[in-house]
Amino acid sequence: MREQLLKSFVDMDEQEAVRIARELVDTDGGAVAVLDTCKEAMEEVGRLFEAGEYFLSELIAAGDMFNQIMEFTLPKLQGDEVTSIGTMVLGTVQGDVHNIGKDIFKVMAEASGINVIDIGIDVPHEKFVEAIKEHKPELVGMCCLITLGVDSMKRTIEVIREAGLRDDIKIIIGGGRVSQAVMEHVGADAWADDAARGVRLSKELLGKE
Amino acid sequence: MISHEMKKVAEERAARYKAAVELKEPDRVPFMGLGGDVVAAYAGITSYEFCFDYEKSYQATLKYLREFPSDQPLMPMTSLANTVAALAFVDYPDITPLVSNIDGPTNDILGVKYFRFPGRELGENSSPQFIGKDFMQPEEYDELIADPVKFCYEKIVPRTITGLQDLQSANALAAMARLGIEKTRQGAAMQKFLLELQKLGYPLSGTSMFLTPLDFIGDFLRDIPNLIKDLRRYPDKVKAAAEALLEPLLKLALAGKKTGVEMSFIPLHFNEYLSPVLYNEFYWPTLKAGILGMLEEGMRSRVFFEGRHDPHLETILELPAGWGIAFFEKTDVRKAKKLLQGHTCIMGGLDPGMVIGSTPAKLDEHIKELLGDMMPGGGFILSLGVNNLPRETPIENIAAVYEAVEKYGKY
Repeated sequence: MREQLLKSFVDMDEQEAVRIARELVDTDGGAVAVLDTCKEAMEEVGRLFEAGEYFLSELIAAGDMFNQIMEFTLPKLQGDEVTSIGTMVLGTVQGDVHNIGKDIFKVMAEASGINVIDIGIDVPHEKFVEAIKEHKPELVGMCCLITLGVDSMKRTIEVIREAGLRDDIKIIIGGGRVSQAVMEHVGADAWADDAARGVRLSKELLGKE
Repeated sequence: MISHEMKKVAEERAARYKAAVELKEPDRVPFMGLGGDVVAAYAGITSYEFCFDYEKSYQATLKYLREFPSDQPLMPMTSLANTVAALAFVDYPDITPLVSNIDGPTNDILGVKYFRFPGRELGENSSPQFIGKDFMQPEEYDELIADPVKFCYEKIVPRTITGLQDLQSANALAAMARLGIEKTRQGAAMQKFLLELQKLGYPLSGTSMFLTPLDFIGDFLRDIPNLIKDLRRYPDKVKAAAEALLEPLLKLALAGKKTGVEMSFIPLHFNEYLSPVLYNEFYWPTLKAGILGMLEEGMRSRVFFEGRHDPHLETILELPAGWGIAFFEKTDVRKAKKLLQGHTCIMGGLDPGMVIGSTPAKLDEHIKELLGDMMPGGGFILSLGVNNLPRETPIENIAAVYEAVEKYGKY
């Protein structure tokens, strides 16, 4: 059944994937099996995206499927059955109210085992600092869609540095208009203009791949 | 008074642009100029003032254009398109300009739920932004298909414009009347601005916008993530809706013809979300029909291909040569040139991230190489992939781009 779930998930057969997951989740050890299989499927979808075989529409559809299945799977898992490879504070930077990119990244990052603390959109610089102090993440993810976000990312990183927290974390920036030049300009550690690359690099920053 | 000399400059600039569109080599590569929030910052005003104070906004733009002249005038980026309202009033072409472009003062009157403005919902130095939501539910596709204009007017306009939520109310009538008064005030300021542009030697041409049916549904009705689900759950309904929307959306774009518009602008958004299979099945048919429909009426198109359009490039060859301009954001323009040379004028090539984060020396080198590759044979217009530089963009980097165009841009 796990193989069928994996196949229908990766093939974007939403109805079939949800149906199998519902069936599997109630079997002995099924919830863990569903979680692991869906994580594996999301990783495969990300790989297909980076290989140019899948596109944003598939990433979004896969994220939606993952969320649907997790809704009835997570309540059936014991606390110690959900493991994390690290924590990330994630937000769209001040001045920018877009969330589509952030939300695609978030679900893919969660599926890869990262514990994501989503602090929202149009996030003031100080709120990033407070969230870092509170959650002590290894990673901070900053998103923007519009070019204005570049100024805002630069300022946010400066404020984090002034608070003496920069050396404790790795920072990845993401969004349609970020690039190597933008990363160097704002002083981040990695950049991604798509969610699959973002998750791959986040795992690298965590020393997990 | 516009001097004879400046009239001549305007003619030269227009000819340069036209030659590129017609796939010829002009005297110098046409250059769109670098604009955005930096224009307001350069004049020392906030983005809030830029969006709400016509006089300050126009003066800021003129100041920037005097310092950094380009081949097309930069227009202040202070308004957002409300194509739902425009479509609702498509049978009243004298009214559509009132509702189709909303800036700060007119948004204060209407309260459009798609929009966020600096100094209102956003900090005073933010850019105006568009945020979609599912203002239409999937079970309403049939109603949309049956009569898109009626559906937009009766259902979507009241849901998305606070001032018009009850179309029968005195409040709605008052909002429309106030809108008319405000647009008259804005029009007077705009006339003065356009005269000043002409004095600076800029050719003027009206604008008209065509939105593809799928972008219309994705941006204004369903929101993008929901539309992606709809493609799988209700494919026939999405297709039928796209076909039903084509005619009124074309009518809206063609209304500009009467005022002398020669080229329509088609900003694509949903293109970069789609695999070639989905693009060819759902998106391209009505985009192609739109471009051809306008061409039949003598209007070329400038299509902004947002994101990476590389997987869909070949479809452009289905259009007749010289159909218009392919304006690329992150698509590899060199690769596009190989495919489209002699068929389609290419616009773009400059990554805003580089202008923001690089150095004058690196930019000089970058533009030298870019123009060296892109200029031969003509049909190329240099532009930012997205013409919106943030406020803190280093001015020396901007200056370096303009200098490099003069240095390396001559044929």
